[in-house]
Amino acid sequence: MSDSLLQLIDRYRNKDRRALSRLLTLAARGEHLSEILAAASVPQSKRIPVVTLTGSAGVGKSTLTGKLIELLRRKDKRVAVLACDPQSPLSGGALLGDRFRMPTTPDEGVFIRSLSSAGGRGAIAEHLPVLLKLLAGFGFDVILLETVGAGQGDTVVRDIADVVVFLVQPETGDDLQWEKAGLLEVCDIVVIHKSDLPGAEHAEAQLRSMLELSSGPIPVILRVSSKTGSGMEELWQAIERAADSEHVRRDAGRELLRQVQEFLSARFVQLEEDAALQQLVADWKAGEVDLNDAARRLVDLLLTAGANPRSSP
Amino acid sequence: MKQHNCQNNDRLAVKMRSTNMSKRLRIVLAKVGLDGHDRGIKVVARALRDAGMEVIYAGLWQTPESVVRTVADEDADWLGLSILSGAHMTLVPRIMTLLREAGLEDVGVIVGGIIPESDYPKLKELGVARVFGPGTPMDEIVRFLRQHPRSHSSAEGAGKE
Ligand SMILES: Nc1nc2c(ncn2[C@@H]2O[C@H](COP(=O)(O)OP(=O)(O)OP(=O)(O)O)[C@@H](O)[C@H]2O)c(=O)[nH]1
Ligand SMILES: [Mg+2]
Repeated sequence: MSDSLLQLIDRYRNKDRRALSRLLTLAARGEHLSEILAAASVPQSKRIPVVTLTGSAGVGKSTLTGKLIELLRRKDKRVAVLACDPQSPLSGGALLGDRFRMPTTPDEGVFIRSLSSAGGRGAIAEHLPVLLKLLAGFGFDVILLETVGAGQGDTVVRDIADVVVFLVQPETGDDLQWEKAGLLEVCDIVVIHKSDLPGAEHAEAQLRSMLELSSGPIPVILRVSSKTGSGMEELWQAIERAADSEHVRRDAGRELLRQVQEFLSARFVQLEEDAALQQLVADWKAGEVDLNDAARRLVDLLLTAGANPRSSP
Repeated sequence: MKQHNCQNNDRLAVKMRSTNMSKRLRIVLAKVGLDGHDRGIKVVARALRDAGMEVIYAGLWQTPESVVRTVADEDADWLGLSILSGAHMTLVPRIMTLLREAGLEDVGVIVGGIIPESDYPKLKELGVARVFGPGTPMDEIVRFLRQHPRSHSSAEGAGKE
């Protein structure tokens, strides 16, 4: 491991905010993932809930996140925010405009990082589990995660979050598109946002009758307005309750599995230039090994290749 | 089945390529001062995004303190300031000082807006990399940023605070 990375990790452990910021950048790029993951995996005395806010573009995710930050600060909780916006598929660039809607006064208890999320990879940025670990290990009490707007039907967020809040808004016209949203089935809380607008009550009634027909557990439904502040406190209480019950329900095995997946991805990136790995990829591309075989060989390779998996590439 | 494999394989190739190419420039764009015009800065934001950069749009009415905090937390390579209010000779020095105090002297600063040309040398002396006047072609800004890469956000450049 290079000296500078060691120093960085050291500073991170001493709660140096700049070091946190740098490590987040490296992790988001997929660099030094296994070292960073190890550094961030400090035992926590309490669970740090990861709360995801998702829903269509313009539904008010950033605005509501901003309001939640204010509410949490009043309760003296330290908040970290990861805000994802879509990457342009053409240029690879991104316009990250979420934090623009959040409080701007510098505050030691608030950390906001904007991330770009490539299309087709779900509504969140790459290597997110490592980023979340870094924030949790730094001593924040709550982590808020804003997904990109296009996330309907995208249920990847369920695996990553302790609490999933799905935002909808009163639509104009009767033809609600919520049936499309697979998220309704996996979220803990549905927020009918912008409840200051006409049609919010109607939207709630419609949503309730629709959910009653479904077989799964019924999420909490709340009307919230970021504009007037109405429903905010109720929302936070619902989030806390959901986090507690998720804690009880959470399958520890799955959590371990996620960690393993992250280790393997990190190793894969580390070994990108490895001859054996490139050969394996080439063989697969040529159709000389089938998917199952290739996958098994890849796992072997990731576990054994290279002298020391902890050293930098 | 074969076809399926190929498709996955392409995706893998794309992923491998994108991890190599992922050192994208990150630039914070902010408007400091009290005027409420954000058209210009939004045009720049879009142009830089289309040039492949990650643009963090901090928006209007930023204070020097909030701008510097944003640059720190976003680990940006560049800070682009838009100042139309005429207060650049008080705002820019303050921002440069705060950047230095935060250990962010490696971050490149560019300034746009309505700035009298007689102030350009003064701003440069303060450490501003370049001042862009109104009507600057977007290409010129893109080219400037590309030709002056910042290296601070690698692990290697990280220990020297
Ligand atoms: N009436 C009303 N408008 C709101 C409310 N909350 C947000 N808005 C408006 O909704 C628009 C979109 O808000 P954002 O917070 O940017 O929405 P978003 O979901 O983060 O958008 P993307 O990140 O682009 O997907 C803005 O114009 C907000 O002012 C609310 O409670 N009531
Ligand atoms: Mg947003």
